[in-house]
This record gives sequence, structure tokens and C-alpha cells, in this order.
Amino acid sequence: METTPRISDELKKMEREEILPVEKKLVVWSLVLGIGLLGLLVWLSQTFFDVQ
Amino acid sequence: MSDSRTSFLKSEDWWAVILGTLLFLLSMGAFMGYDLLGWVASPKMWGTLSGAVAPVAAGLAGKVSGATALVLTYVLILGVTSIGAWTMGARMGRYAAGFTVIFFLTYLCLILGHQGNVAANKPADIEKYGGWSLRLTGEAGFILSLALGLIIGNFLPRLARALGEATKPEWFIKTAIVLMGADIGVKAAAQQELAAAIMFRGFCAIVEAYLIYWALVYFIARRYFGFSREWAAPLASGISICGVSAAIATGGAIRARPIVPVMVSSLVVIFAVIELVILPFVAQAFLYKEPMVAAAWMGLAVKTDGGAIASGAITDSLIRAQAQLSQGVEYKEGFMLMTTTTVKIFIDIFIGVWAFILAVIWCGFIDRKPGERVRAVEIWHRFPKFVLGYAALFVVFLFICLMNRDLIGRAQSVTAETNAFRTLFFALTFFSIGLVSDFKRLWQEGIGRLAAVYVICLFGFIIWIGLAVSWLFFHGVKPPVVS
Repeated sequence: METTPRISDELKKMEREEILPVEKKLVVWSLVLGIGLLGLLVWLSQTFFDVQ
Repeated sequence: MSDSRTSFLKSEDWWAVILGTLLFLLSMGAFMGYDLLGWVASPKMWGTLSGAVAPVAAGLAGKVSGATALVLTYVLILGVTSIGAWTMGARMGRYAAGFTVIFFLTYLCLILGHQGNVAANKPADIEKYGGWSLRLTGEAGFILSLALGLIIGNFLPRLARALGEATKPEWFIKTAIVLMGADIGVKAAAQQELAAAIMFRGFCAIVEAYLIYWALVYFIARRYFGFSREWAAPLASGISICGVSAAIATGGAIRARPIVPVMVSSLVVIFAVIELVILPFVAQAFLYKEPMVAAAWMGLAVKTDGGAIASGAITDSLIRAQAQLSQGVEYKEGFMLMTTTTVKIFIDIFIGVWAFILAVIWCGFIDRKPGERVRAVEIWHRFPKFVLGYAALFVVFLFICLMNRDLIGRAQSVTAETNAFRTLFFALTFFSIGLVSDFKRLWQEGIGRLAAVYVICLFGFIIWIGLAVSWLFFHGVKPPVVS
């Protein structure tokens, strides 16, 4: 009978992989874009949708 | 039958749309002057049990007893959900039996939560119940539903398994969200400026969840916990975006083995319960002067649709009670919940796009396979379809009420009925979340390392960044006050 794999067994089987340059780019560009867009949205919401 | 038609009929998302729309259309009778569903049961604050449940239409009080209304409501909901469950492949005998137990236990919790000494929060009401109250409002019933579900899920596993066929928290909450569309449409028409401001601020949630949370969690999981890409990406989506559906969409996008997002999802559900139990009370204690910050925070910090919207509902009632007690301000009900829902839905609708972006990156740069291409139609496949039902009901009522503001009163009589169903589906969600949250099994599975990433990310920065961004966008924004 097939048994359901346990999380701990699956995690033990996991092999370490080097972080690729494309992954670093993904993380860095996401953060840069995210912070930039948040700044823009704060300005837009305070300028055009201020309800205070 | 074609594949697309089969998947349509087997989709919880589409059945949430069908069910929500059907109940909405039946409730629309009240709009036309033919109240078809006035007899639907609604829990009331009570001192003696005979007053605990009443028909939602005030005109039927005394003509239809609470018990009759409750049984009729059960028959209606069992009937309409059974069609969906049957189409989705449920074993009907087990579904009907399971749903019956879940329905009545959930309603028992709702009734207990509405007991006067538990729920009353206005001075006049408290006087009626002997001068003291826990001031939890009727939403205490949700907390009791969750607690009872957790007890059964963790200490009575055989009963939990027997109820399993009808334990569908995602379906229940998605149906509740579709129904909420009508109510929010009416509220938006009555408070256009505030609604527009809340909607626009919803964009901040997309940026925060996908570009900031995801990147940070992915990096921490890869760099400091040594997770492989196959594990780190679904884990980042599960923790950052929308729990179960995001983990599954990401798993599909990067071609992870199916077991990976399933395991991540089980962890997400457990942590959503922990957040659901803690965060609304923290918000009540520290954020009652900034209700909308608290509401947005629930949408940004609590994962899974059920957990987030449920937290929003509890936060709405707890903060209204606290604001009335401490400041003498009575905020209108539902605007905090509207904010939480908007934030969560904005996060949800981007899942398909994010899964597409990840698929392109994985396909083009990480797991390159000759001839493999990612099709844009994947965005539609991953799109949470229940959002369409929510949007349709929202637009219909917003349009009707904006065209003729005199119709707002009639629209509110419709939403009184849809809200009775929504409350019921909320409570069913709470109970079902408890049932599926098997802490013991996950512990035995050895979740340590996975849970460590979750705890560090959640309590290390997700909650705090969520709070900071909520503050940045929503501080000073207040719900309307009852005049």
C-alpha cells in the first residue's frame, strides 16, 4: 500500500542548491520596485484620495 | 463532457459564484416587493432561549418561530450546497450527514455567542442583561465555532473524519465573499469618497505581498534555511500572498511536485488559525483609535481567505465595541470588514499574474527545457473566479444605488437577507477551519524546519511590515459614525 510521505522525510531528502544570479536579481528587483511603488502609491492616495 | 466544462463544474470557486448569486437573486425579491426569504433565520441577542433566533424580516417576527426559521434555513442551505457538492464529486450521504452536524453545531455556537452577557456592548443593552457583559458582540459566536471545530479536529479525530466530506472552509468563505459584494456595493454608494479611498489603497496590498513579502521570505528560506527552489517558492507564496491557493499556483508554475504545496498549505492553515485567534484582540487593544489600520492589517497579515476575512469580521466587532466603550464613538458596522476584504481580494486577483511571472522566470532561466513555453492563458486558469461573483454583485448594487439614491433603503433590505446568509457561511467557515487544523498530526509529521521559517518570517517582519504599511495608507481614515 502506498503511504503518504511525511514532511520531515521530504525535508531530509532536500538537497542544498546554490542561489543563482537570476534569483538574486528577482529578489533585489522585487524589493526595489516594491519600495518605489509603495512610495508612489502613498503620494497618489494622499493627493487624490485623501479622506482624513 | 469537455475538460473545461468538467473543471468548471468541479470548481469550488465557480460554485461559490453560483451559490452566492442564487441566494442574492432570491433575496432580490425584497427589492421588487416580494420578500421570498424574509423567513431566513438570524441569530439575535438573547436573555431567554426563545428569543435567540428570529426571521430576518422584522414583519415575520411572531408569525414564524425561530425554530421554524432555523429548520427552513437548514433545508435551503443543505439543498443548494448539496447540488454543488454532488457536482464536485462528494459522496452525498456522507455530505448530508456531515453538513447537518456542522450546521447545527455551528448555529449552536452562534446562538451561544449572542447570549446577552457575552455579546451586549451598548450601555442600554448591558443594563437589560443584569448590568454586566463580556462585550464581545455577537461575533463571539464565530470564536466559539472556531474553538469547537478545533476541539473536534484535535481531540475527536474520528468525528472530524466523519464530517470531512462536508468540511469545506474555502468554499464557505468564498460564498460569503460573493454575498458580501452586494453589501459592499450599497455601502460604497452611500459613502462614495470613503469607498474610493479604500479601493485605491487596496493597491498597496498587491505591492506589499508580491514584491516585498515574497522576495524577503524566498531569500530567507533559500539563504538561511537552505531550502531548495522547489520548496522555497511555494513556501514564500504561502506565507506572503494567500496561503493555500498561492502555494498551489506557485507549485504549478515552477513545476514542483504536488506534495510540496500541499504540505506548505497545511502549515499555512494552522498559522492562519493562530493569527486569527491573536491578532484581532491585539488590534482591539492597541488600534481601536485607528480602525481602518487594524482592518487593513488583518488583510495583509493573516493568510488564507477564510482566516483574513474572519479576522476582519472579529476586528470589526471588537473595535466597534472598544471605540464605544473608550471614546463613546459608535462606528457603522461593516466598514472595517469591507477594508479587510478589499485588501485581501486585491491580493487574490494578482495570483494568476504572479504565477505567470514565476513560470516565465523558471521556464526561461532556472529549469530550461527545450521547446517549453508558458502560455498567457495560464493567468486566467489561476485567476480566483469567485472574485468575479463578488465584483458582479458589487457593481450591480453600486450601479442601482448610484442611479437612484432613493433605492438605497430597498437595497439594504436585500442585503439584510444576504448578510444573514453571509453570517452563516462565515460561522461555517470558522467551524470548518477548526476541524481541518490538526495541530497534533502536523507536529507528528515533523514540521520543525518549515515552521521555523514561517514563525521567523511571520513574527519577524510580515506582521510588522503589514502594520507599518497599513498605518502609512490608512491612518486617519475612519469608518462613518452612526448618527
